[in-house]
Amino acid sequence: MRQTIRGCVAIAMLVFVEGCVAPQPSQDLLAPTEAQMKIRSVQTRTFEVKDRQIAMRAVIAALQDLGFIIERANEALGLVSAARFAEPNYYDVVGVTVTVRPQADGHMMIRANAIYNNKPIEDPKVYQNFFATLERSLFVAKD
Amino acid sequence: MMRRWLTAVGCMIVGCQLMACVAHTQPQEFFQLTAESSSNRAMQTRMFETKDEAELLSASATVLQDIGFQVEESVREVGFLRAAKERSAREYGQDINRFLVLLFSSGASIVGVPPIVIPVDLHQKIAASVVIRPLNSESTRQEVRVAFYRVVWKGAGAAGRQQIPPGEQRMEMLRDPVMYQAFFSKLSKAVFLEPFAL
Repeated sequence: MRQTIRGCVAIAMLVFVEGCVAPQPSQDLLAPTEAQMKIRSVQTRTFEVKDRQIAMRAVIAALQDLGFIIERANEALGLVSAARFAEPNYYDVVGVTVTVRPQADGHMMIRANAIYNNKPIEDPKVYQNFFATLERSLFVAKD
Repeated sequence: MMRRWLTAVGCMIVGCQLMACVAHTQPQEFFQLTAESSSNRAMQTRMFETKDEAELLSASATVLQDIGFQVEESVREVGFLRAAKERSAREYGQDINRFLVLLFSSGASIVGVPPIVIPVDLHQKIAASVVIRPLNSESTRQEVRVAFYRVVWKGAGAAGRQQIPPGEQRMEMLRDPVMYQAFFSKLSKAVFLEPFAL
């Protein structure tokens, strides 16, 4: 009987001690996964626009057409963040951050990150829809 | 027989719960133009024949200040301005409803069930986001687009023994055309220009 108790105590101690060891982060914690690369390609598109300001204004116009409220913009960094309420349910929010970056070959790289209630949206269709609206807005801006 | 009934009821409950998990609107749709997009755009937009974009932007800020807004963010390079004001959201109708429900539900207090207290809207933040952009390459014509929206905070309440804590939020776009017309008529007076609609 005493031996059994001793055994139990030993096991309990072991469990305790093990609990003290912090879990080690794995080596590939910050390494890009394949899914991340895929989502990045979905979120990014390049357009034939030379002027960053024109591109930014087109992004803002596209977001406004889609019913988004522009929350923040930074011309120097090419950032636009916007949000909209997921009407008709009044508690959900869709947020989006768009970055506009000029590339060496004179094209403009536009990247959009969308979130739905703080969870990232990974559906490629969402980004296709956004870029379709943006394309139209850029076309209007060019005229 | 009894067990089969129980299983059926169990399945229904699980089914209902799963149904509640399905969102009413998919995020996909939020990035698509809808039938209302163009009418909203027409309501929120006016055009002005001027070259001076900065003047329009500062005039918009003045108009918003006149109706009690505080400017929160402005970026001149892309013609953007955001302003907000906080006000009480109390409405008599809601308080009357709250009283009536309390009155009717207080009958249940005979059997020891506390009456129902509906939470009412207490506080709101109304905000406006303004964007101005040139419409042609010579930028002789500018487009002003404004969007008003609000966030409402609710007070505390109780449903039977369950307490409802205060602070629940509700958000909505403001789509009253009169509000937009008033803004644009003030803006046109501030810049001495006649606006025209789409």
